[in-house]
Amino acid sequence: MSTAREKMLAAVRASQPGALPLPTVPLFDGEASVEKFIALLESIGAQAIQLPHLSQLAATVARCYPNERRVASDLLPATVAVAATTPAATLATIDLAVLRGAFGVAENGSIWLPEAAMLHRALPTVAQHLAIVLDQHALVATMHQAYARLNGQPGGYGTFLAGPSKTADIEQSLVIGAHGARSLLVLLH
Amino acid sequence: MSQPQNHAQRSDLFLLDEERTTWHDETLWFVRQKRDRAVYATPEFQELRQLASDIKDHTLSRLAEYLEQFEDAALANGVRVHWAADAAEHNRIVLGIVRQAGASRVVKSKSMLTEECHLNPHLLAHGVEVIDSDLGERIIQLRDEAPSHVVLPAIHLKKEDVGETFWQHLGTEKGLTDPQQLTEAARQHLRAKFLAAEVAISGVNFAIAETGSVVVCTNEGNADLAIGLARVHIACMGMEKLLPRLSDLAVFTRLLTRSATGQPITTYTSHFTKPLPGRELHVVIVDNGRSQQLGRPDFRASLKCIRCGACMNTCPVYRRSGGHSYDFTIPGPIGAILSPNIDMRKHASLPFASTLCGSCTDVCPVKIDIHTQLYKWRQVLGAEGMLPASKKYSMKLLSRVLARPALFKAGGAAARLGLRFVPHALSHAPGYNPWAIARELPAPPKQSFRDWHAAQAATPAPTV
Repeated sequence: MSTAREKMLAAVRASQPGALPLPTVPLFDGEASVEKFIALLESIGAQAIQLPHLSQLAATVARCYPNERRVASDLLPATVAVAATTPAATLATIDLAVLRGAFGVAENGSIWLPEAAMLHRALPTVAQHLAIVLDQHALVATMHQAYARLNGQPGGYGTFLAGPSKTADIEQSLVIGAHGARSLLVLLH
Repeated sequence: MSQPQNHAQRSDLFLLDEERTTWHDETLWFVRQKRDRAVYATPEFQELRQLASDIKDHTLSRLAEYLEQFEDAALANGVRVHWAADAAEHNRIVLGIVRQAGASRVVKSKSMLTEECHLNPHLLAHGVEVIDSDLGERIIQLRDEAPSHVVLPAIHLKKEDVGETFWQHLGTEKGLTDPQQLTEAARQHLRAKFLAAEVAISGVNFAIAETGSVVVCTNEGNADLAIGLARVHIACMGMEKLLPRLSDLAVFTRLLTRSATGQPITTYTSHFTKPLPGRELHVVIVDNGRSQQLGRPDFRASLKCIRCGACMNTCPVYRRSGGHSYDFTIPGPIGAILSPNIDMRKHASLPFASTLCGSCTDVCPVKIDIHTQLYKWRQVLGAEGMLPASKKYSMKLLSRVLARPALFKAGGAAARLGLRFVPHALSHAPGYNPWAIARELPAPPKQSFRDWHAAQAATPAPTV
C-alpha cells in the first residue's frame, strides 16, 4: 500500500530475532463468590445492592436516586430516550443511566459492558451517575475466565468497567468523579 | 547558571527544594508499597510476569507477521490503518485525518507516543485546538510543561501549584487547593471540550492481532467519553504494542495496574474494534526508532515495556531527581535504556543515573532486565567515546592502578597516611572531589586488608 508500510515491515523483518515460542496461558481460576465480588466493588469506590427480585428494580432505583430526573435505560421506564444516534447535547443532560452488565469479575470488581447494552457508546461515561444491573450468577473468578467467556469476540466496542470514574492526579489524592460517572451502583439479582 | 547538560545538573535544580524532593520521594515510595500489597494478594503473580515476558518475546520475534495480521483484521472491521516510519510522518498523518474530517477541535487522552512525536505543537501550529483530557496532562498542558512520569504526569506538582494554574486559566478562586474542588473545576471545563470535539485522539495500551482491536486503559473515563462522542477516533500506537490473542489481555490487564498503582484493574479497560456506521476509526502504527532497537540484541527487551511506571516508583534515583531531570519523553530507568537508542550523545548521562541496585528489574511486570541494560549501555557509551572526561580519565587511572599490585599497595599506604593530614576542606573540596559533595569519606583504617590478612596468617586460629 504505502511506502512507509513496506519500509517499516522490511526494517522489522531485518531486526526481529528467530521465532520464539508462544506460551499457553493456564486458565487460572479462583473464588467467584458474590461476597468477594461485592467486597472488591466496595474497595474500588462502587456500591452494591442485592435485589430480592428483579421486579423491585424500578422502586429501588427510585429510592436510591431521589433527585435524578433525567434517566436513560432500557430496563425500566426512562425519561430520556437514548439510541446510537442521540446527539451529544441530549446526552449531556442525563443524570442517570441504568444499564445491564453481561458478567462480573470477582478478582477486580469489573463488569463487562458490551456495546449492545450501552444504548449509546458514550452513555456510560457521559451520564452523571451509573447503575449496572447484574445477574449474581454471572460471575467469573479471574480475567482469564472473563476472556474465555468472550471467546475471541469483543464486539464493536466493549469495556470492563470497574467502579466510578476516578483520578489521583493532584498530589495522589483520590477523587471520585473525574470525567465519567460520579458514582457506580451495582444492582445484583 | 547555563542550560544544564546532563542528568546530574538537572537533578540539582530539582533538589533545590528539599521539602518538595522529600515529598516526591515518599509519595512515589507509597505508590510502590501499594503495588506490593496488590502483588502479594495475587498468588500467581510471578507466573504471570513470566507469561507476559514470554508472550512479548514471542510477539517481538514475529512482529512483522503480527503487524500484517493486525492490519488485515482491522481493515476487515472497517478500521483505517496508517503506517508512520517516524514522528514527522505520524504528525503529518494525524493532521491529514483531522483536516479531512474538516475539524478544528480535538481532544486527546493519554498517549506517551504523541508526546514522543510532539504532536500537540504540530497540530497547534496548523490551527487545530488540541486539549489533553487526562486531568494530570491537562494541568501540565496549561503550564506548558512535559509529563514527569508515565502514569502520574503531574507528580512533580503540589496542589498549590495546580490551584494557581487553575486560577490563571480556568478562573477558579485564588488559593483553592482542595483536590476535590480542583478536580470538579477541571471536570466542568473539560465537559465542554468533550461535547464540542469533532476528533478524539487516544494512545493504545494493547493492540490485538487476532481481532484487530485496540485496547485503551484509563481511570478517568476521558478516552471513552471523548471517543464515544466524536465522529472520528484516531488511535496512535507504537508498533511494539501488539499481542497475538484477545485472551493474552488477561495476563496483561492483571499485571498493568497492580504494578502501576496497586489497583486490581483500571476503571475502564476498553476494547475498540469496529467504528459505528458514519463514524471513523483510524489506527496509526509508528516505528520511530523501534525497529532499530529491535535489531539490538542487548536492548531489544526494552520494547516489552507496558508503561506501568513501576520502575520509576521504586528507583532511588528517579524518586530523588524527578522526571524532568531525564529530559526524555519516558523518564526513569526504562527511559534511560530507551533514550540512547534515539540519540546517544544527547542522552549519554542517563544510563549513569542509576545505582544499578536492580530494584527496577525486580518490579518490572514483563521482566525487562533494566539494570543489566543500563550497565550494557555504559559499555556502549564508553566504546563510542561518549563518557565525560572526568569519568573517562579517572577510570583509566584506576584501571592502571588496579592492574599493578605494587602500585596499588603503595597508593593505599599513601592515601591512609595522607588522609590523616590533609585538611577536610581539601579532601572534600567540591572542585576536586564531586563524590564528597553530599558524602563524608570514611576514616582511613590503620592497616590495609593485606596487612591484616598477613597478621592473621601468622597467628594460629583459635580452636572452638
